[in-house]
Amino acid sequence: MAVLAGLTVSGLLLLFLGENPLAAMGTLFGSLFRDSYTFADVFVKATPLMFTALAFAFTFQANLFNIGAQGQFYIGAMTAVGCSLLLQGKMPGLLVLVISAVLTILFGGLWGGLVGWLKARFNANEFLVSMMSTYVALNLMNYLLRTFLMEAKGEYPQTDALDSAVWLQTIIPGTRLHTGFILAVLSCIGIWVLLYKTPLGFRIRAVGQGKDAAEMAGINYKTLYVVAFFVSGALAAFGGFTEVNGVQHMLVQGFNPDVGVAGIGIAILANGNPIGIIFAAILFGALKVGGTIMGQLSGIPSSITELMLGSVMVFVILAYYVREKLEDRREKTRLKKAVSV
Amino acid sequence: MSAPPFVELRHISKYFAKVIANQDVSLQIRKGEVLALLGENGAGKSTIMKVLYGLYKAEEGQILIDGEEKVIHTPKDAMKLGIAMIQQHFALVQAHTVTENIILGLVHGRFDITHYDKIVAELAASHGFDVDPTAVVSELPVGVQQKVEILKALYQNAQLLIMDEPTAVLTPQESDVLMNFVHQNTRAGKAVVFITHKLREVMEVADHIVVMRAGKVVGDLRKEETNEIELSKLMVGREIHDRTYVEDAVFESQPVGLALQNVSIRDPKENIFRIKNISFQVHKGEILGIAGVSGNGQSSLCDAISGYRRLTEGKILLNGQDITEQTARERIERGIGYVPSDRQRFGLILSMKLTENMFLKSSFEDTWVKHALIDRKRLDAYTAEKIRAYAVKATGPDAVARSLSGGNQQKVILAREVDRGSEVIIFDQPTRGLDLGAIEHVHRTILDEKKKGKAIVMISTELSEIFGLSDRIAVIYKGEILGIYRNHDLDTHKIGLLMAGYTAETR
Repeated sequence: MAVLAGLTVSGLLLLFLGENPLAAMGTLFGSLFRDSYTFADVFVKATPLMFTALAFAFTFQANLFNIGAQGQFYIGAMTAVGCSLLLQGKMPGLLVLVISAVLTILFGGLWGGLVGWLKARFNANEFLVSMMSTYVALNLMNYLLRTFLMEAKGEYPQTDALDSAVWLQTIIPGTRLHTGFILAVLSCIGIWVLLYKTPLGFRIRAVGQGKDAAEMAGINYKTLYVVAFFVSGALAAFGGFTEVNGVQHMLVQGFNPDVGVAGIGIAILANGNPIGIIFAAILFGALKVGGTIMGQLSGIPSSITELMLGSVMVFVILAYYVREKLEDRREKTRLKKAVSV
Repeated sequence: MSAPPFVELRHISKYFAKVIANQDVSLQIRKGEVLALLGENGAGKSTIMKVLYGLYKAEEGQILIDGEEKVIHTPKDAMKLGIAMIQQHFALVQAHTVTENIILGLVHGRFDITHYDKIVAELAASHGFDVDPTAVVSELPVGVQQKVEILKALYQNAQLLIMDEPTAVLTPQESDVLMNFVHQNTRAGKAVVFITHKLREVMEVADHIVVMRAGKVVGDLRKEETNEIELSKLMVGREIHDRTYVEDAVFESQPVGLALQNVSIRDPKENIFRIKNISFQVHKGEILGIAGVSGNGQSSLCDAISGYRRLTEGKILLNGQDITEQTARERIERGIGYVPSDRQRFGLILSMKLTENMFLKSSFEDTWVKHALIDRKRLDAYTAEKIRAYAVKATGPDAVARSLSGGNQQKVILAREVDRGSEVIIFDQPTRGLDLGAIEHVHRTILDEKKKGKAIVMISTELSEIFGLSDRIAVIYKGEILGIYRNHDLDTHKIGLLMAGYTAETR
C-alpha cells in the first residue's frame, strides 16, 4: 500500500509538468511488456542491484553501515575484467569465469574486510570509512583504465571487449538476460539461509541487536565485524563481475554509477530481508527500464523515476511507523474495553 | 476534619499498551502526615505518583490540590504547586557542586555563588544534615547524594515530598537517619509520601498506609489499625515471611569450586581500582552472599569472574585450575553461569525470540547444529520445556523477549544460566524489581542449585535475601572485601557498619 502511495504522490508531481499522470504511468508499466527484450531487461537491471542491496543489508544485520558498495562493485569489476582479459583464449571460457568469480569474491571481500578491521581495531566510523573507500576504488579504476587495462586502440578510457567465450551465458535468446540473474537470486536465498538458519548468521544478528549481551555470551564481536564486511564486500564485488561478464563485456569508465546508492534504497525498502530484496530490486529495475522508455516516448524527463523511487521509500518507512502507532492505540482501547466491562 | 486534604487523586486510570498500570485509583495526602504507598514491584505505586508529578498523563481521573481541580502537564507544574519527587535514580549533575545542583534553573544572570553556599549551609544545618555546599556531587557517598536531592526539594519549599524507594541505596544506619528526617519534616507541617515494598519500613515510618496490588488500591488504613501480617495479606493475597536460613555445615568439607586470589581490576582511563585485592573461596554446595550498597565494585567483580574484563592482578581458579587467562567463551564452556544485574542489556537480546535467547550462549556447540544449520525444532522443544518448568508467562518459544514482564525475563535468564552453569553460578541482584511470586521462585532455584553441589556467589543489596540464603557472607566496600563471616556471626547492625566501611579496626 505504501508503494502505491509513493507512486501516487510522484504522479501528482507529474501534474505540475502539465502531463497526464495516469497516461504516463500507463506508458511506464505498459512499455515493459511490449517485447521480451524490454521485459527481460528489467531483470538484467535488477541483477547488480540485488548484489549491492545484499551487501548493505548483510552488514546492517550487524548494525554496521557499509556505504562502500559502489567501490566494492568497481573492485569486483576491475578484478573480473583483468582476469578475463588475461586468461581468455588461454583456457576454456568456463574456467576463466570460475577463476574470475573466485578472485572477485576474494578481492572484494578483502577490500570490504579492511573497513571491518579498521572498525574492530580502532573503532573507526565504518560509515565514513566505507564511503571514502568508494572514491579510492573509483580513482583506482580510472587510473587502470588509462594504463594497464586500456584498450589496444588507446582512444578511450575503457578496456577491450571481452572474448565471447568469457561472457556469461544468455538465458533467453533475443534478450540480454544472463546467468548472472540466476546467481543473484541464488545469492539472495543463500544469504537468507546464512543469516537466519546458521549459527554464524545468528551471531551476526545477535551482535547487531544486542552487542553487550552477545559479548557477555562469549561472542567476539570484533571478529564478526571483519567477517560481516568481508561477506558484504564480496557480494558487492560479485555484482561487478556479473555486470562486466554478463552485460557490458568490457569495462567503461563511470559505468553503473548509482548501483551502490540504489542498493541501499532497495535494502531499506525490503527491510533488510534478503528475499524481499529480490522483489524490491525487480521493482527498481522495472521503474528504471520503464522510466527511460517513458522519457523517450512522452518527453517527461526520466529523472521522474528517481522521484518515484524516493517517494516510495519515504512512504514505506512511514508505513512502519504508522503501523506501530496504530497497534499501540488498538491495544489501549482493548484494555479500556476490558476494564469497563 | 472538614478541610480538604492537601492532595487528592480521584479515579485515576493509566494504561500503557498491553498493561493497566493504574485502575480507578483514589487516595488522599494530608499535611503533617506520612503516607506510605505499599505494594510489591509492579503494583503501580511509582506510576500513580509519576502521574501526580506530571511525568505521565492519566487516561481518566482528576487531581485536586487543596480541594481545587488542577491540571498537571509537566513536573514544572507540579513543582509550582509545591510537589517535589525524589526518584530512585537521582537527578543530580555529578560534575557540579551541591549548591550548583540545588539552585539549578532557579537563578539567572550574574550572582555570587558564596551567597548561595551560605543559604544552602544554613538549610542543611537546620535539618541536621552534614553536607558541604562546595563539595562536588560525584565525590559524595550515595547516602549524602540523597540528602542533596532532599535539600533541593526543601530549597524550593516543597510542601509534599514524594520519595520512591529511598532506602534501596542506603545502609541500615543511613536508613534510620532518613526516617528521622521524615518524621521531623511532617512534624513541621509538610506532607511526605513514602513509596516502598518493605513492610518493616512501613510500620516504622507511616501514619497512613495505602496498599496497592496489580494497579488497584486494595487497602487504605491508619497504621494503628493494622500490622505487618495483615499488610502482607493485602499486598500479595497471602502471608509472607522472610526466608529463614537453614544452617548447613556440610559445605565446609567439600572441595573448593571457585577461588579468587588477590584479584584486582584497574580502570586505565580513570586510573582507579574498581576492585582491589579480592580473595575468597566458595566451596561446592555453598552460597557465598556478597552484601554492599550498589556501586561498590559488584559489577567489576562479576566482570572478573565471567571473563568480560581482564584482571590487572590476581588469579581465578575453577575447581583448582587456573582460568585467569581464559576468555568469556571458554569460561562459559567450563560451566560458569552468570545472571547479570542489568538483565535487559547483558542478559537478553530484547528484540530476539525466547528460543534465540536460550541459544545465545550455545551457538558454538555442535549439539544444536544439524547439517550446518540450526536445529530449530530441537531448540524450540528445549525452550518450550524450560518455559513450562519455570512457569514463564509467555505465548511460546517464539515470543519476543521484550514482550515479557521483568520477572518472566529473569526466569528465562535463570533457566539458561542454571543449565550452562554446571560448576559455578553468579547471581547479581537476582530479585531486583521482581514481584513476590517471582522472588520466591528465584530463591527456590538458587537453593536447588546449591543442593546440586554448585558453587554459588550471590550479590545483593537486600539484606533479608543475604541473611536468608547465604552460608557465608562477605561485605564489599569501595572495591574491597571487608570481611567474610558465617551467617550467624553477623546481624543487621554489624553488617550495616561494614557496608558503610567500618571494619573492626576502624570502629
